[in-house]
Amino acid sequence: MALVVLAFDLLLAAALIWLAWQATRAADLFHAVVSFIVFGLLMALAWVRLEAPDVALAEAAIGAGATGALLLSALDRLARRPRRHAPLYEPGTAWGFWLPAGSALLAMLTLAAWNLPAPGLGNEILASLSASGVEHAVTAVLLNFRALDTLLEIGVLLLAAVVIWALGQAPPPLVPSMPSPALPALGRLLFPIFVLVAAYLLWRGSHGPGGAFPAGAVFGAGGILMLLAGARPWIRSSEHGPWRLILSLGMAVLLAAGVAGTLSGQDFFQYPKGTAASFILVLEVAAGLSIALLIFALYLRGKPREHGSWGAAE
Amino acid sequence: MSLGPVGPAILFALPLAAAIVVFVRPRWSVPVALAAGAVQFAVALALLGVVLEQGAWRQSIGGWSAPLGIGWRLDGLAAALLLMTAAVGLAGAVFHASRPPPPAVVPDPRFFWPLWLFLWGGLNALFLAADLFNVYVALEFVSIASVGLIGLAGGAAQAAALRYLLATLLGSTIYLLGVALLYGRYAALDFALLAERVEPGLVPAIAAALMTLGLLLKAAIFPLHFWLPAAHGRALPAVSAVLSAVVIAAAYYLLVRLWFGPLAPLLGTGVATLLGLLGAAAVMWGGLLALLQRHLKMLIAYSTMSQFGYGLLVFPLAAAGAVEQAWTGALVLVLAHGLAKAALFLAAGAIVLRHGGGRLDALGGDQAGVLIAWVAFAIASASLVGLPPSGGFLGKWWLAQAALATGGYLWLAVLMAGTALTSAYLWRALQAALRAGGETAAEAPALSPALGLCALLLALGAAALGLAAPMLARLLDAVPGGPG
Amino acid sequence: MYLSLTGVLFVLGLHGLFTARNLLRQLLSLNILTTSVFLLFVVLARLAEPLDDVPHAIVLTGIVITISTTAVALALVGRLAGRTRDDDAITAGDPRGDAE
Repeated sequence: MALVVLAFDLLLAAALIWLAWQATRAADLFHAVVSFIVFGLLMALAWVRLEAPDVALAEAAIGAGATGALLLSALDRLARRPRRHAPLYEPGTAWGFWLPAGSALLAMLTLAAWNLPAPGLGNEILASLSASGVEHAVTAVLLNFRALDTLLEIGVLLLAAVVIWALGQAPPPLVPSMPSPALPALGRLLFPIFVLVAAYLLWRGSHGPGGAFPAGAVFGAGGILMLLAGARPWIRSSEHGPWRLILSLGMAVLLAAGVAGTLSGQDFFQYPKGTAASFILVLEVAAGLSIALLIFALYLRGKPREHGSWGAAE
Repeated sequence: MSLGPVGPAILFALPLAAAIVVFVRPRWSVPVALAAGAVQFAVALALLGVVLEQGAWRQSIGGWSAPLGIGWRLDGLAAALLLMTAAVGLAGAVFHASRPPPPAVVPDPRFFWPLWLFLWGGLNALFLAADLFNVYVALEFVSIASVGLIGLAGGAAQAAALRYLLATLLGSTIYLLGVALLYGRYAALDFALLAERVEPGLVPAIAAALMTLGLLLKAAIFPLHFWLPAAHGRALPAVSAVLSAVVIAAAYYLLVRLWFGPLAPLLGTGVATLLGLLGAAAVMWGGLLALLQRHLKMLIAYSTMSQFGYGLLVFPLAAAGAVEQAWTGALVLVLAHGLAKAALFLAAGAIVLRHGGGRLDALGGDQAGVLIAWVAFAIASASLVGLPPSGGFLGKWWLAQAALATGGYLWLAVLMAGTALTSAYLWRALQAALRAGGETAAEAPALSPALGLCALLLALGAAALGLAAPMLARLLDAVPGGPG
Repeated sequence: MYLSLTGVLFVLGLHGLFTARNLLRQLLSLNILTTSVFLLFVVLARLAEPLDDVPHAIVLTGIVITISTTAVALALVGRLAGRTRDDDAITAGDPRGDAE
């Protein structure tokens, strides 16, 4: 049994290395991007093997799913234009430098990593978990012990969406050039399933793997799938409409929760005694929704139209 | 409810909340941004007073103490940088609000405001942070906001923004690897906790090297400076000002925070000398390149690269024993540089608007409307060069004393040569104003005097720092666990 | 064994980042680099006794940050490519930026 597991791990590691190599070196960009997506999916397997189911869920939905969709749509746009013939890599002399330098770095890192005692904070978490308001440790870390990080992280996501809007108008929605007549139908069929899975993950988050992050990511990925299936993006950038507010809601709620602690004379982000569970539930729903919408907004790759629908303009 | 614990919460939450408000309701941008900026300036000033009175403190977030929870730390250095951020942020906001609208290269120039406030909030979060991973998140926050702001200038600036983004992402990833190694060794991310636990050894050494490398890349220290000049030279004036004055200082701030905090046991003579030599090379190379520039804003951008080289001299001087003087000197220099450099970029912004371009040979002739800007430029230059009684003079004076006390004549020579280079390139810029027959923008917009005044106030602040020597010495007095 | 994988992926990512001349490829390399750092965190969590959940939360945060930065970079690449009509022309190979 142990042998089978070891063989599986070895195979997984070899596949990951090969895919990473392909993603960085493949002659064809499309090939590289697909390798990267498969790399993300296999990483999700590796996370499962390393007993990190939450990370696995997020990696599959965000690392492979949403990032993959972003990359593919970017690629599609780049590939449409005629392209000057340029060398893909620096000339071969780079090898002479990188082979020894890389090996040295590798040896150093591995040596350092093998020496790590990895004491971890498992005991500290167990001791404080009952006071955190949730049963699932990862959720407790994200929304209680280290809630400040999470606030800034949702901030980064919102900020990225604002930056992308600031840089330019969104191109018209992309119907991928991969010809697949089944895709629209499949997309419509799958979307409700995505929503259900997301809702389930959100609900599970307080006592098992799941919670706002994977749920939001799955939901967002579902939205992107709908776009791929030919749906029109429904987010509008009008300053009078509700979308700007809805996108900012997650961060606003987290900020308010932080400030509430200070206002009640306690620490920033300190929830009043006995209310941690309800606070975290509200934050999770808000964070999950805004992660989903923001990931979807990132995919639009520019400031969406102020009003009306895309169809009218085309 | 005293200001002590509440102040940091205001500085953290206010800019972020204001950013959300102006993103949702762009029509309110200018009043909301200016009001938030004024409040932050007042709070930062008051906090500085509290730190002077009570000394430094740490406050935990969410009622959890380290190692599980995150904390904020407020000491003299953090308070001083928060105040500098507020000064530059407010001046930049007033400048941007009173300038004629920039050319329409992006869908909506009002996106400047949410990005500006987000950047401000990210910087405040960074200066308050006392946790290695919280720092990483804040660094990424600051990077993305900076990239967005640079990109607002369109065209070539967006290419520069992309190069900056890739460089800074690589920097954060390398930094994060260092964080992972330290966490794996000590199961702690909190600065104070790590300071108790770190001992010299292979793993901490590699982690320190990685984190330093990542931060050097973000601080654009020679030879990792390649991304800086284009990114800072091509952005809008207010953006250039905050990037050069504060964003670079933030990366530098983390370097000294780490090396004089958790990593202090590892700061041997060898490492310190290496960092000092990098700093010396940055001073000389940046200065030489600044001297060769033909464009006003590029000249100032290269000057940033040169000036932060001085900051690295703190390491060899402190390792040689002159901890107090080197520490105070280098940090006063960083503060004075921040104010002076922001003044230079804002003044240059007004001057470029007036002349319709920034080529040095086209800046002469009629200076109507930008006289105040040139005065600000001259005063800021005097501080950068280090004429008494400016902040630049004070910083260099303390550094020089540290060098003399420890026999570090090499560092003294770098200080002298750097000063000569600085005077040379800034004199070139000032000379351009006196030349006859410059150009004037075709449809020269009537420039508000507020543009020059913003620059002038910052420049006067840089100059006045020198007069506050006793206060600064007391503020920066507590070296957090200096080496040796 | 997963520790060694961290090292290999890190070197692959670095190598790709510095040798690739295409921006999209540099982004892929950067993503692989970041993943290798996440892998180190999760391996550390696994080695700890009992299982440590803090690195899991850290990596979740990191994954969300990574997609944000990737999306911003892709938006910039798109803008630049749209303007120059040639994405290969914009490479990181030319570090000298001269205004005007």
